[in-house]
Amino acid sequence: MSTGNIKTTNVSRPYTWKERLYLLTIPKGFLVTLRYFIRGFFLRKSNTISYPEERRNYSERFRGMHFISLDENKLENCTACYLCQTVCPAKCITITAEERDPKENPVGVAKEKRPKAFDIDALRCCFCGMCEEACPKDAIKMSRNYELAVHTREMAMYDLKHLSREVKNRG
Amino acid sequence: MVTEMMVLLAKVVFIFALCIGAVPFCVWFERRGSAWMQGRLGPNRLGPFGLFQLVADMIKFFFKESFIPQNSHKFLYLLAPAIALVPPMAAIASIPFCSEIHLVNLNVGVLLILAFTGLEIYPIILSGWASNNKYSMLGALRASSQLISYEISMSMALLSMLLVYGTFDLTEIIRYQQEHHWGVLLNPLAALIFWVATYAETNRLPFDLAEGDSEIVAGYHLEYGAMKFAIFFMSEYVAMIMVSAFLVTLFFGGYALLPGMSWVVSASGKAFLLPVFELFSFFLKVAFFMFLFVWVRWSLPRFRFDQLMHLGWNILFPLSLANLLLMGAVAYFLR
Amino acid sequence: MDLSNTDTTKTKTKAPQQITIDGQSLSFTPGETIMQVAERAGISKRIAHFCYHPSLSIAGTCRMCAVEVEKVAKLMTSCSTPATNGMVVYTNSEKVKASRNGVMEFLLANHPLDCPVCDQAGECSLQEYNYEYGPSTSRFGDSEEKRVFENATTLKLSPLITLNMNRCIHCERCVRFCAEITETHELLMVNRGHHKELTLADPSKGLTSDYQGCLADVCPVGALTFNDFRFKKRVWFLKQHPSICDGCSRGCNIEVHSEDDIVYRYTPRFNQEINKHWMCDEGRLSYHRGHDKNRIVAPYFEGHECEWHTLLADFTKSLKSSKSALVVFTTDATSEEVATLTSLLPQLHKGGPINFRYISSTPDENPNENQDENQDQLLRRKDKTPNRQGVASKLSPISEADFQSFNDLVIIFKGSTSKLPRLAFSSSKHLYLWGVFLLEDLENIRASNPNIRGVLPGVHTLEKSGSYTNCDGITQTFTAAIRPPKLCVPVERILSKILTTVTAEGEAK
Repeated sequence: MSTGNIKTTNVSRPYTWKERLYLLTIPKGFLVTLRYFIRGFFLRKSNTISYPEERRNYSERFRGMHFISLDENKLENCTACYLCQTVCPAKCITITAEERDPKENPVGVAKEKRPKAFDIDALRCCFCGMCEEACPKDAIKMSRNYELAVHTREMAMYDLKHLSREVKNRG
Repeated sequence: MVTEMMVLLAKVVFIFALCIGAVPFCVWFERRGSAWMQGRLGPNRLGPFGLFQLVADMIKFFFKESFIPQNSHKFLYLLAPAIALVPPMAAIASIPFCSEIHLVNLNVGVLLILAFTGLEIYPIILSGWASNNKYSMLGALRASSQLISYEISMSMALLSMLLVYGTFDLTEIIRYQQEHHWGVLLNPLAALIFWVATYAETNRLPFDLAEGDSEIVAGYHLEYGAMKFAIFFMSEYVAMIMVSAFLVTLFFGGYALLPGMSWVVSASGKAFLLPVFELFSFFLKVAFFMFLFVWVRWSLPRFRFDQLMHLGWNILFPLSLANLLLMGAVAYFLR
Repeated sequence: MDLSNTDTTKTKTKAPQQITIDGQSLSFTPGETIMQVAERAGISKRIAHFCYHPSLSIAGTCRMCAVEVEKVAKLMTSCSTPATNGMVVYTNSEKVKASRNGVMEFLLANHPLDCPVCDQAGECSLQEYNYEYGPSTSRFGDSEEKRVFENATTLKLSPLITLNMNRCIHCERCVRFCAEITETHELLMVNRGHHKELTLADPSKGLTSDYQGCLADVCPVGALTFNDFRFKKRVWFLKQHPSICDGCSRGCNIEVHSEDDIVYRYTPRFNQEINKHWMCDEGRLSYHRGHDKNRIVAPYFEGHECEWHTLLADFTKSLKSSKSALVVFTTDATSEEVATLTSLLPQLHKGGPINFRYISSTPDENPNENQDENQDQLLRRKDKTPNRQGVASKLSPISEADFQSFNDLVIIFKGSTSKLPRLAFSSSKHLYLWGVFLLEDLENIRASNPNIRGVLPGVHTLEKSGSYTNCDGITQTFTAAIRPPKLCVPVERILSKILTTVTAEGEAK
């Protein structure tokens, strides 16, 4: 196997006495820590993001907490087709379907089925995004919200009311 | 007589306050320094530069529940932290801080310090035994074997220097260095051996096997919490200050002025400035070695126990023995 | 007699009639169509079809079953083409696939894309065939509007059936079902071509037959859906298990669809001798009784819930100490339960005579009796218990005298969820109930006999295995489709528990 220009060292070979003195490597290590010390102490530079004030800018494709998008009439896009529940590898989605009251539909809309309950157990979810992929109506989507800390386990069970959001993009 | 007593008392208070008061700053520097070395920030929220974090930590230590493990030996368990601060503080007392401040001026000051550093193992052994916890016991055993192994090399390095200085009196030793050269220039090998041994003495990285978080959780102070733990913690830092001061006294001229300072003192022509600058030089030298403690800690990984023993007995011991013989010969022929 | 005619018959019987389908040589009897031959050989899956149904007449409306026949220029519909000797049929040639693709494209031109909403998704012929043969893209742009029947998008044809005309592919299976099987002629197709629409013959009445669920079964798409199952569950979650319907003495073969031990529906399972492809709505809905909230699912002793061992200890003691006992079976007990109890209970009851009787709320029925609301000529029977014949062959019916003569212990064994017959106690008895009971049953029994000592919760048809003998004397076995509630246990487990305890006690003595 070619390693190109990368110099490799077999670390499992017995070391020579020169190497075992560590005369070169120890000062090298000290210089690294000293460099960082000077960088932090004098130049006030660090790699830390001071979280509440600064936020890490995650990529557009980041998969955070789910939400259920609403259509222009403020009705949830979800038709309770159970495809997300079917595809979910963590079995964290529980849907109960019901017939949508025709009177509830605005003029010109004929939605037959609606989710009576749509629960996501965020503690079980592995944020794989397969529900989003499976959804035929683009109803379940994953936002970029990653702040999911809650006080009790029950609070991590998100229901339809929590999940329904009118979103322009992936907010 | 009364005035003398008052002055002495003032000196005692000054030195002890200096040592105890330095501990929180050492801890602060340990935490922030380690953060800087790792590209982090460290505690920076409370007060200027995060200095008040120490106050918060102390308040926490005071108010945490102070419990005693059920099956421990109650008396020894409580005795261990109670005596933890005694040996390093006692040893510091015989180190001259400047030409004016020297609490215990013995003509065998070196021996006194060696005796008290040897006593430092007692709180550790007591806590390890009294906690009735296998990890604490292992930590204590490691600490004691480590202390014995390195004390020999340390003493022999010291002995080689005493051959040069020809005295046990620390003030005399400093005077000799002021007149000739710093000990480190006379015998750099002895200085190196002594320096390495101080790390083992104080159970600092890379020799912190007595605590060895990855194998024995926290070692001898595993069962201690609240103020009892805080005392162990403080004694470790006081011991660090003490050995740094000892090292400085033996090899780096003690309170001898740093280059350039003597010119400032003589130029100003004010005699009272001399002890101030002496104290300042001594402080700077000790501070440098305290910085080294932190620097070494975050640069070198921990030794395995067999490597520690190998280093102590197979390398440092013969090396210090050879050094002692060599210095003996040099001293004999040059006299 | 025409000699020549006899001759041809002879040659026919001597040389067997052969037809080759996909290289497989099959024999047939004259008059059979290609589809029927394929069906008999178990290869009908290879021929895609919508309108053909083995129990309905042949319509040939969907054109999906067209197959290639050698030496015939055009494709032939296999459902309506009679097999002839030496015929060579290809069911999966390129020509056939192209034809199916074309048919699918026409059907999908107007079929809505609402599989996520449609309950048929997962068991829909259209979906499956489209996946296999259909065009994956549409030649119509987004601008093309699909045909919409505004008034029949979710039209309730009856409390049981909902019609979504947009999804209909006009196979007319439902129309034929109403015409041929129930002979009620309730549904018909009106208009032609693009406007062809399924309507009720009498919209004021709606569907009234007792077999409406079968309409949802025969519908190959989601146009007709059964309201009871509508939106309850997606079909791919369901576990199928063959079983027997215990709703009446017909013993229709069914498939139990369940998930996590909850039954969601019954569907009929083909059995030529009993129910063919059908089952009645009453039976179809009878699964609800198994999940009745008032079912007694924990051991019950002297008015309170209790531990099994407490109840069994008392039960064993009562059995041993009783002088004369009476065990009454209802006719929904399996034959195995009757046999087990009649053979093992006497061993425990050493005091005196133990008598076994059965009780039924309906009198012995006459199969040719006139139709009434509980019975018809097709499937439904007046006797709403599944095993009357099986129980009656072993035991004699109970009489008023029995209740009087047996004084100190009465055990009533009820095997399943059917309605409890009225029990007439002339005097208060020491009473044990064993099997599937509801709280109402307890109330009813208490009215005449307040002394109910204990209830041993048992398992119903779906939770146990056994056999039933139906009204025509056909014995059918079945196995458990779901697990029973935690504390409900089958008869053999209770008996083995009692017997081991008794044996251990005997050895100790």
